[in-house]
Amino acid sequence: MTHLDEELKQLKSEITNMWNLIIQQLKKTQEAIVTFDKDLAREVIANEKRVNGFELKIDRDCENIFALFNPVAVDLRFVLSVLKTNNNLERTGDIAEGIAKFIVNANHSFDEKLLSQTETLVMFEEATDILQDVLTSFTNEDTKLARRIFQRDEMLDEINIKANSVVADYIRKNPDNLEQGLYILSTIRKLERVGDQCKNIAEEIIFYVEAKVLKHAKGNQKGD
Amino acid sequence: MAEGEKISSNKMLKQAIAFNLFRILSFSVVAILIIILSFITIKGFRAISWEFLTAMPEDGMTKGGIYPAIIGTFYLIAGSMLFAFPIGVLSAIYINEYAKDGFFKRFVKLMTNNLAGIPSIVFGLFGMSLFVNTLGFGDSILAGSLTLGLLTLPVVIRTTEEALKAVDHSFRLGSYALGATKLQTIRRVVLPMSLPNIITGLILSIGRVSGETAPILFTVAAYFLPKLPTSIFDQVMALPYHLYVISTSGTNIEESRPIAYGTALVLIAIVLIVNLLANGLRRYFGNKVKMN
Amino acid sequence: MKIRTHQVNLYYSDFHALKGITMEISANTVTALIGPSGCGKSTFLRVFNRMNDLIDGVKITGDIFIDGQEIYDRKTNIDDLRKNVGMVFQKPNPFPKSIFENVAYGLRVNGINDKKFIEERVERSLHQSALWDEVKDKMKKSAFELSGGQQQRLCIARALAIEPSIILMDEPASALDPISTAKIEELIYELKKNYTIIIVTHNMQQAGRVSDKTGFFYLGELIEYDDTKIIFTNPKNPRTQNYITGRFG
Repeated sequence: MTHLDEELKQLKSEITNMWNLIIQQLKKTQEAIVTFDKDLAREVIANEKRVNGFELKIDRDCENIFALFNPVAVDLRFVLSVLKTNNNLERTGDIAEGIAKFIVNANHSFDEKLLSQTETLVMFEEATDILQDVLTSFTNEDTKLARRIFQRDEMLDEINIKANSVVADYIRKNPDNLEQGLYILSTIRKLERVGDQCKNIAEEIIFYVEAKVLKHAKGNQKGD
Repeated sequence: MAEGEKISSNKMLKQAIAFNLFRILSFSVVAILIIILSFITIKGFRAISWEFLTAMPEDGMTKGGIYPAIIGTFYLIAGSMLFAFPIGVLSAIYINEYAKDGFFKRFVKLMTNNLAGIPSIVFGLFGMSLFVNTLGFGDSILAGSLTLGLLTLPVVIRTTEEALKAVDHSFRLGSYALGATKLQTIRRVVLPMSLPNIITGLILSIGRVSGETAPILFTVAAYFLPKLPTSIFDQVMALPYHLYVISTSGTNIEESRPIAYGTALVLIAIVLIVNLLANGLRRYFGNKVKMN
Repeated sequence: MKIRTHQVNLYYSDFHALKGITMEISANTVTALIGPSGCGKSTFLRVFNRMNDLIDGVKITGDIFIDGQEIYDRKTNIDDLRKNVGMVFQKPNPFPKSIFENVAYGLRVNGINDKKFIEERVERSLHQSALWDEVKDKMKKSAFELSGGQQQRLCIARALAIEPSIILMDEPASALDPISTAKIEELIYELKKNYTIIIVTHNMQQAGRVSDKTGFFYLGELIEYDDTKIIFTNPKNPRTQNYITGRFG
């Protein structure tokens, strides 16, 4: 194993750790919504610092590898994809933190009926699951799995679109719970962004493994 | 740890013994040279005078000078070099630059080496048979020079070959790459660069030629000839032969002993002067083509 | 196409050194030849100025065209070919002559004696090789007084003086320090405007920096030949990828 291989392996394990942390963040946030556990939400907010720490560390590692090893071909693509994935993961971390802040700021627990009508929890499950699948496809360099992400992201989009009318209905019926309605809608908006981040990461994985650039390609080409 | 120290001190001892052995051997070489030189100098110094160098020998070589022998030696050096140098250098160029690796090249090299191993008296006999008798040159400077030239040819060829080989191939490639022909490359790049080493070969040959007795014995050397030659078909006296004559078969060996040592000193001095001259020449050209 | 080779095979006696090399090189581009030692890249470079002819027992088959002319044709004059195809070697090899005479050498051996013409051409070549300012006051000094990097640029000037259209470079910077290397690379970039350059290099980064196209040689074969950008980001052949990423073995 070359020195560069050693560094790349290190980088991969680093970003995998960050990835797992963010998956945990999302899961905890979901739990905090269901149980309206403000302490758990605060923990997520506090953990965001660790996510940021990972991001800085990985950025610096990539920079060093570029400067010291001048990676080319597959190595170059790997480091580039890690650099971008790092960025996408950090934003995903921000999303979990943002939702946790809603929980901390909310006055009383979320209406279970609203949560189920808007499919917020389904969305949460799905978003976390997608993020987990992208990680698996990254770990195994499995582009087939990565390509399925684009399909699954559409489900999040649908829930997001439907949520507008559901929340509007809810607010009309419960004008007093206006604030809660807005929190839920914002949460859904944020979860929809998780899907987008995962889509970007999936593109990076395919770029790294197959050297194909999918970015800005038309939707129907993504599946091939 | 103790074992390690033992090994290391053992190694140092061996190192010291080897080093000192080499040093003693190399000093002893210098010492032998100094002894010979001082012996000749001390014995011969008294005989040296302006008259000794410029006068003809007299009284059955027990008196007078060695002027004709000095001049004769110079003629033979010049004559043999005029013959051996161009032929030797050109053959070496052919062998090294033109001939392809193969049977012929190996054969020529083998023959050259064999030529170097032939005893000089055989050269003398051959020279007598070919130049003196068959070609009818008689005992003459021409016959003697050609014989000496033949004798020294292998030295010239070999040293020139080495000199040419020492020129890095990349210089030749650089020249060819600019569209130069082989001849242009040899003339403008290879020869100027190898000249200093070729001159070394010249020095060695001159040293050998000026000291040889056997090859001139039957081809040119006069036993006693108190006059200077007027053409290349004349006989001459030569220092080494003169030395041989007055030490072995002169009219009065005991009386001519100081002259013998004086002659030896002059012979050594001539070789030395020629060497110094050639060395100066070599340094001059060497500076012009200084390698990096 | 400036240069076109088709199915070039080269043998050193029994050793098959180049195996069916087919390649096309456009004018005013830099082509890098890369590969492990003994892969045939330098041998291939020397095909273009017939430098391999100097080695006993070399046999070559196939076609090599420069400007549409078959250079191994019996009618081709080798000295004229080498005037058109200049070469720069791995180790700087200026002749043991003055700086001026080094650059003038190629002109002189090609029968040019006009003093004024030679002076102009020498100055122009030294300008082209970015050496003029450094040597203009010591043209009579020995070329060996220059630094290694300067000597190499002198060798480039020497090649430029006879106005070739192609310049072959055999690891031109491998014996130089990084600053001299950078100067040579800058020079290659400048020269590309007027010359077609083929460079053999062991330095991957250098190949990436200076060349438009890269050919990867392995065991006498041209494994992959493509835009340098593609070779260094997405090589098609796994052997190319292994070589450029340093996982050869």
